[in-house]
Amino acid sequence: MGKSDGFLEYKRSLAPKRPVQERLKDYKEITKPLLTEEINKQGARCMDCGVPFCHAMGCPIYNLIPEWNDAVYRGLWHDAFERLSLTNNLPEVTGRVCPAPCEAACTMAINEAPVTIEQIELSIIEKAFAEGWVKPQPPAKETGKKIAIVGSGPAGLSAAQQLRRMGHSVTLYEKSSKIGGLLRFGIPDFKLEKSVLDRRMEQMRAEGVRFETNVEVGVTITAEELKMKFDAVLLTMGAGTPRDLQVPGRELSGVHYAMEFLTLSNKAVSGEIKQDAIISAKGKTVLVIGGGDTGSDCVGTSNRQGAKKVCQFEILPKPRDWKEPWNPSWPNWPLILRTSTSHEEGCERDWAITTKKITGKEGKVHEVHCARVEWTRDAVTGQYSMKEIPGSEFVLQADLVLLAMGFVHVEHSKLLTDLGVQYDARGNIQTNGNFMSTVPGVFGAGDTVRGASLVVWAISQGRQAAQAMDAFLKS
Amino acid sequence: MNKLRDRIRIQTDGQMKTGRDVVIGALLGAEEFGFGTAALVTMGCIMMRKCHLNTCPVGVATQNGELRKRFTGKAEHVISFMRFIAEEIRELMAELGFRKFEDMVGRVDLLEVQHAVEYYKTQGLDFSKVLAVPAVPAGGSLRCVTHQQHDFSLSIDAELIQGAKEALEHRKPVSLRHKIRNCNRTAGTTLSYEISKRYGSKGLDADTIRVKFDGSAGQSFGAFLASGVTFELEGDANDYFGKGLSGGKLIIYPPKASTFRPQDNSITGNVNLFGATAGEVYIHGMAGERFCVRNSGAIAVVEGVGDHGCEYMTGGRVIILGKTGVNFAAGMSGGIAYVLDENQLFDTLCNLEMVDLEPVVEKEDVNFLRTHIERHVKFTGSDYASEILKSWDEMLPKFVKVMPMDYKKALQKLKEQQMKNSESAEMTEEVFL
Repeated sequence: MGKSDGFLEYKRSLAPKRPVQERLKDYKEITKPLLTEEINKQGARCMDCGVPFCHAMGCPIYNLIPEWNDAVYRGLWHDAFERLSLTNNLPEVTGRVCPAPCEAACTMAINEAPVTIEQIELSIIEKAFAEGWVKPQPPAKETGKKIAIVGSGPAGLSAAQQLRRMGHSVTLYEKSSKIGGLLRFGIPDFKLEKSVLDRRMEQMRAEGVRFETNVEVGVTITAEELKMKFDAVLLTMGAGTPRDLQVPGRELSGVHYAMEFLTLSNKAVSGEIKQDAIISAKGKTVLVIGGGDTGSDCVGTSNRQGAKKVCQFEILPKPRDWKEPWNPSWPNWPLILRTSTSHEEGCERDWAITTKKITGKEGKVHEVHCARVEWTRDAVTGQYSMKEIPGSEFVLQADLVLLAMGFVHVEHSKLLTDLGVQYDARGNIQTNGNFMSTVPGVFGAGDTVRGASLVVWAISQGRQAAQAMDAFLKS
Repeated sequence: MNKLRDRIRIQTDGQMKTGRDVVIGALLGAEEFGFGTAALVTMGCIMMRKCHLNTCPVGVATQNGELRKRFTGKAEHVISFMRFIAEEIRELMAELGFRKFEDMVGRVDLLEVQHAVEYYKTQGLDFSKVLAVPAVPAGGSLRCVTHQQHDFSLSIDAELIQGAKEALEHRKPVSLRHKIRNCNRTAGTTLSYEISKRYGSKGLDADTIRVKFDGSAGQSFGAFLASGVTFELEGDANDYFGKGLSGGKLIIYPPKASTFRPQDNSITGNVNLFGATAGEVYIHGMAGERFCVRNSGAIAVVEGVGDHGCEYMTGGRVIILGKTGVNFAAGMSGGIAYVLDENQLFDTLCNLEMVDLEPVVEKEDVNFLRTHIERHVKFTGSDYASEILKSWDEMLPKFVKVMPMDYKKALQKLKEQQMKNSESAEMTEEVFL
């Protein structure tokens, strides 16, 4: 709520970033923390809206944004932390990596720069950890119900914490070596340092959540065992099947899915594997195909590994350049050109390009053959279609091609087949509106159900699924 | 249903947003429709609810020049909105089979409760009275079909003006006597118009025109009464007694022959002295609700009031010698009220958002209080007030001074300024001497 005329007095100000030359030398986070007084002022910019769009329209987990903005302005950090904890299980993650739809929806974004909501969120939770306010909240009593959660990404983690606090016994299974899912192995350290996750895991472990890593559910434990041992199962394994590039030369060495590249890099950064075990971009010309956030992460990681040159191609047309501080599509998410910190570090971006084939030398990728495309909108159906522009073909020399073209759906694994869940038209697990799949007692949440999306949506789904499961177990 | 409906137009507003809202309003009997928020929203209002803080970020409700630059609304936006509203009304009228809007007015029989939206909270709602179809008397109508005939023959002002000719023309004192009935409304208003036309807002000297009335006065007795006019009413008065009082004096007391205790009985209606700016009022008896609402300068003495006394008052002085209702002084930003709080319950009845309660100790206050109660006794012959004066030392501590906080600060500043001014005046005099 802040100061009634604070928005007229103070300008939006974000935490400073480390200089590009410095940050390219390591994998540490890019931003430096902001001074407390500056955060107070940023909180004062909040206008105490009669209808706060940030909270109701912007934030999928309905963070009580005006309330904690006000608390921060008044210096009531503990109050702010308590409010924040009511809705968000992982504010230290969303405070770092969320694209902040809340800020797009902020009422101030109608005609000026919005409140720095994400930064305030991060400041609150970092202060809370520093002050020792983040304590385990184990349940007062046990319900005796046993729940298995498959997949330890943000949906699984949020659901696990919520369900455990309701008094259920929760076992969180993860097929990888460590807990965190894409938060740990997908997002590079320069955006989210992994100690941030370890801190939260510690709290959850103290609350009594059981973590079981290196377990591939469906293989190590069969679907039958799972159903027998647990009263309910929650599937939160994400949308693991990447969209493939079906062109000649796809099989060449040096063409990888973005996630393979990022996972190995993250493991090397944490010391889990040796440096020589990664897919290295060192001294190479890298082409990232796909213009989304994953692609951007590939750009930043390639540059840190010492790539000679990094290019990023996107099949959709270049979004409009928007230099104004306000949101042209308020309160919706605007489709405008976004330049990430990774792009700032050096990258050639281009749009409306399709890949036609990849050619190699001695089995290794050497050239990528592309063409430009034109998008047209059907006046009747409103659908967009793409057409290659004749004579626009060109060739790019590349030593490493990373496919960051999105994810199609959850991996249709043995587990899902054995459980017998049904899929929706897009190949996601079909649920009934109460997060239950077609198999009674088997629930789904996050990307597994929604398709690939934001961390904050995963948290939202995880929390809602937890509530639905609690109701199911009580009935 | 009487034969009055055909003379008036009914206007409705509140949450009007769609053509459907208008049609429902019309079927329930409305002929005019007010759009508030929805029209504002078309011009950029985002319901910030900051209209009172001057910080409207879209420039709709603000005087801040920087913020007003952000206003993006255009008259055309409202025009388009209203076109769509009209279009939807037309569609609904076509569905209902109406050719003209006025045919739709009052057709309650076409409305029914939508049971599909029944909800546990609606279980206790009974719409039968809202949806009742009234019988229309012969020659009557459920909508406006004629005009109100404004018959000024019932106004007694023509006679008053005639009787006060000497005063109006030559400022000579006159004394009149008149009977009054409740159909005689706004007694004294046209007379005041004649005075202010000739002598401006200063009016005549005090008590130049004295009129003694007997009977039961209609609404707005003494409305906008000008300086120099004193109305004395032996009887009672309806609502809006002394509305907009502009310097005149009103005195009212029950018929001498009555046997009830005036301080426990209402003698005037609601909303006395609404928006009064100057003058004096002495009421021997109780007044109704919202006494002195928006008074900005008149002085009133009364023996009891209903709820919401001194609401939104900005100036003037009010002395209440008896009971008050709840929510006293709500939104009271100026003026002073003195309340006789015999059983010490007043703080539970007063709205303390904007005012402080203080004892009456300052000499200035005590003098004012005593002088005006004495005048009250003199003018109305109130035994009740007379008793208070008799045991003054005992009663004085039971008075509470209702003081708006910001008003107090403003008065203090004013005093300081005056002191400074007089000091500097003396200094300049010294310099010149």
